[in-house]
Amino acid sequence: MSRCWLALVEGLATDADAAASAFTTDGHPAGTLAAWRRRAKPAHDALRVDERLIDPDGAAAWISLVLPPSGVRLPFDDLAVQQARRLVLLHQFPVGLSTLLRDDSHFEGAITVARSPADEHRLRDDPFARIFPSRLLSVEAGILGAVLPPTGPTIERYGSGNPWPWDRFD
Amino acid sequence: MSARPRPRDANGNVGVDTVGELAVGGQVPDFELLDHAGNRRRLSQLVGGDPTVLHFYRGWWCPKEQAFLRRLQALQEDAEVAYSRMVSVSIDPPEVNAAFRAGLGARWTFLSDPDRGVQTQLRLRETTDTLNNPYVPVVVVISPDLRIHAAYNGYWYWGRPTHDELVTHLRDISRQLRPDWEAPTP
Repeated sequence: MSRCWLALVEGLATDADAAASAFTTDGHPAGTLAAWRRRAKPAHDALRVDERLIDPDGAAAWISLVLPPSGVRLPFDDLAVQQARRLVLLHQFPVGLSTLLRDDSHFEGAITVARSPADEHRLRDDPFARIFPSRLLSVEAGILGAVLPPTGPTIERYGSGNPWPWDRFD
Repeated sequence: MSARPRPRDANGNVGVDTVGELAVGGQVPDFELLDHAGNRRRLSQLVGGDPTVLHFYRGWWCPKEQAFLRRLQALQEDAEVAYSRMVSVSIDPPEVNAAFRAGLGARWTFLSDPDRGVQTQLRLRETTDTLNNPYVPVVVVISPDLRIHAAYNGYWYWGRPTHDELVTHLRDISRQLRPDWEAPTP
């Protein structure tokens, strides 16, 4: 898997490979959701994301963006993070999903994607939101694609530096 | 009356069968079906690079299937950390599979073959049930190239693999598959 990074930044992200404006559920601007396909980390708050989720031709979406409070992070193998992955497999899989990481050993958030506001209830039931706070946002077209459900029942990462649910060692 | 000898593979291993077009050493066709969420899925994509338990079953209504799926549900507790995959196939439509899967607490993929195209291709129709025309129960354990490592005819319940037998097959394939199977030590 090639390296892909995601961040919600203030202002524009002119150097990003894909970007779209984000808004809160009551319509206020929330920044720009941006993605970069490159090895080096492109922005201070950027986190690694499953590259399959990023699609410059992707339609508008609604997301649950789970991020830890400043200075807080959990081991990726923490029981709470394991259980959230199990629940994702157990329930109806969303349009797309990726855990977010900065290094090989810590869970630093997740993004869950829906295509319709009617699916908002599923975003509110995001299992990763039981670990860290979630922000529900709408995102314009141009950044978020789809990820097919993993076959299951594997909850392990394929290589500690890769986000789940990426499912190959190569 | 003498009992029919249990089939053996080329190495003389007991516990392997040939069912329909599925035989040890053969390859499962790379079929495409809808998963429990309605996504079109190809078998090779689902298997990826891991050993996989591929399970054909009659339907949600069969007590034997309910019992055997509880066995697979127990296996998933190991498989979730063992880089192994599971796929179950029936003639039930996706929404029925989704409900059955949820009721079981299964965390693997269920595929639907309501038109019985794959069932016909594999010659796996259970001819004694002319009401449902379901799959005859079969479990195969396959490698990433879809090669059949073990096959079990589950028409009679005791023909199905135990938890330990499945683990043995998954271990054998993993040993062949993982270049670092021998633990790296100083």
